[in-house]
Amino acid sequence: MTDTTSTMAPIRTAAAIPIAPGRTPWKHEAVGFVLGFAVLALLPLVFGDTYARHILIMAFIYAIVASNWDLSLGYGGVFNFGHLALFGIGVYAYSLLTKLAGLDPWIALFASGIVATLAAILVTIPILRLKGIYIILVTFGFAQLVMQVILSQSDITGGTQGIVRIPGLYWLDHNMVRDAKFAYFYIALALLVASTLFLRVFVRSRAGASIVALRDNEEYAISRGVSIVRQRMLTLAASAFFTGVAGAFYAAYQRNASIDVFGMSLATIILSMVLLGGTSTIYGAIIASFVLTIFAEWMADFGAWRPMITAVLIIGVMLAYPSGLAGMIKAAWGVVAGRIKRPA
Amino acid sequence: MSALAEILFGGLFQGSLYAMMAVGLALVWTTIGVFNFSHGVFMMLGAYIAWQLVELGLPAAVAFPVAVVVMAGVGWILQASVVRPLIGRPNIVLVVVITTLAAGSLIENGALTIWGPRSKQIPALIDGNAIIGGVGVSLHQIAIIVITPLILAALWMFLNRTRLGLALRAVAQNEDASHLVGLNVTALYGLAFAIAASLAGLAGIFMGGYRFMSPVMGSDPLLKALIVVVFGGISSISGPIFAAYLIGFFEAACSYYFGLYWTPALLFGVLILTLMVRPEGIFASRSRGLA
Repeated sequence: MTDTTSTMAPIRTAAAIPIAPGRTPWKHEAVGFVLGFAVLALLPLVFGDTYARHILIMAFIYAIVASNWDLSLGYGGVFNFGHLALFGIGVYAYSLLTKLAGLDPWIALFASGIVATLAAILVTIPILRLKGIYIILVTFGFAQLVMQVILSQSDITGGTQGIVRIPGLYWLDHNMVRDAKFAYFYIALALLVASTLFLRVFVRSRAGASIVALRDNEEYAISRGVSIVRQRMLTLAASAFFTGVAGAFYAAYQRNASIDVFGMSLATIILSMVLLGGTSTIYGAIIASFVLTIFAEWMADFGAWRPMITAVLIIGVMLAYPSGLAGMIKAAWGVVAGRIKRPA
Repeated sequence: MSALAEILFGGLFQGSLYAMMAVGLALVWTTIGVFNFSHGVFMMLGAYIAWQLVELGLPAAVAFPVAVVVMAGVGWILQASVVRPLIGRPNIVLVVVITTLAAGSLIENGALTIWGPRSKQIPALIDGNAIIGGVGVSLHQIAIIVITPLILAALWMFLNRTRLGLALRAVAQNEDASHLVGLNVTALYGLAFAIAASLAGLAGIFMGGYRFMSPVMGSDPLLKALIVVVFGGISSISGPIFAAYLIGFFEAACSYYFGLYWTPALLFGVLILTLMVRPEGIFASRSRGLA
């Protein structure tokens, strides 16, 4: 912090990171970002029925959770297995705040994000000095601990029964129930846009670069003055806010909360989205969320075979393409771009 | 008196099951350096295979060993299909978590499709009940308490006294050097998985003898085994064994004094505290290797 220019303009320091080979210039990314989400915003014109919109809303929620998980897992290199607990905390925080405390749903939505952030900071304390497998075990333990606490406080949280009739979100006088999920679709999309924008700006910032430096060479990064304690806490806290908000939105949308959100099956699905998409990309996790959610719905007729086919698919992609779908797309793009740049 | 007997008995019994599970996890971790999240599914599959063999008319004394041997094969196949191809990848720890989770889901849903959701039970090792120290216990549970330490002692003997066991420990200590002296490291990886899977399968058979089986029966013991290896230190075999019994006693005492609801929360609280003070586990030395 001796450099005066960096303290004068802290926001612009992002531009000070040299462009590495293969790094997409931010202008290209911005164009792709706007185009991609514009296409998503036009989808309700094509899909008019409630069911298709429901699938898309669920894909948006999963995409938020998975891409935020990618921040701590992929960029931070922290084997955080308690990410779904942050989602669950969002679900229960919203439910309790609106139903017991009678808070306005919109305020509760953002308050849930803050509650999840605080929980993330709390869970960071025991893992500050740990590495690899031990982080997996502690964060896994944290998720179980949260679930057990919710179960044991059944007179407030409903225990295994869960909470029903949670107040939903509202928009002026708009009827949220009879618009074929029109409003919920755009709220979910807006949350995904905000979350993705936040994540991409974060990982391109100086703080994001220092987190990646810690992941890639911890000793060197520390010797260059990067604080592992502060950056690890920052990573988990940053990945928690939108995860908590997504949980709150999920509760508002489903109108009920249950401890299933802490279960292994949901955690496995979302983890596969992160890894299938390719870690440290953010976009990969989002793409994989769409692919897996739609794939799971498409196979709804297969019954018990569905989870088995999904499992085989996940194993196949992990064995063939360790860098995930993002790696596949990048490789395909490399081939296409190479042909365009080199005219015969 | 009966309170103490109950805690003692409950602790020994639960500890035996946890030890059988945790040893397999620790064995795979020390040799290959990956965490097998389908370990709980091995337990379930072992119980179901034993049930199927008994159902086909085999006597339990034949069916149980056969099921354990089949499980060794399953462990080998799993290792060869979803772990071995990934060795050498930079993010192997993470990728193996997801491939073993997926393989576990595959086996679990396969069991559900083949055997259906209806609960089943396999014959107990010994029928009948006894009263010891004012507590009513089944002879099946007594048998488990006696047999488990014998099996673990046999495993210890294998790892420390036989050439094959020493080779396994050598791979755990230094993989490159093991390659250099001509050990077949790939086969030893398979062996570690095979032993782990058969121990888990045996634990499943034990459990299926006193409780109804279901395709998800392995998830709770897996969770407890995770606590045990963290608590005892994952890089050894003896650490998890001691920790398994300690956790067993702790669990029995907690559910006696605080009730069933609070026991898991207390367990995880202890786990997190342990890791904050001694991240390598309470019994572990700071070096990596099998002991």
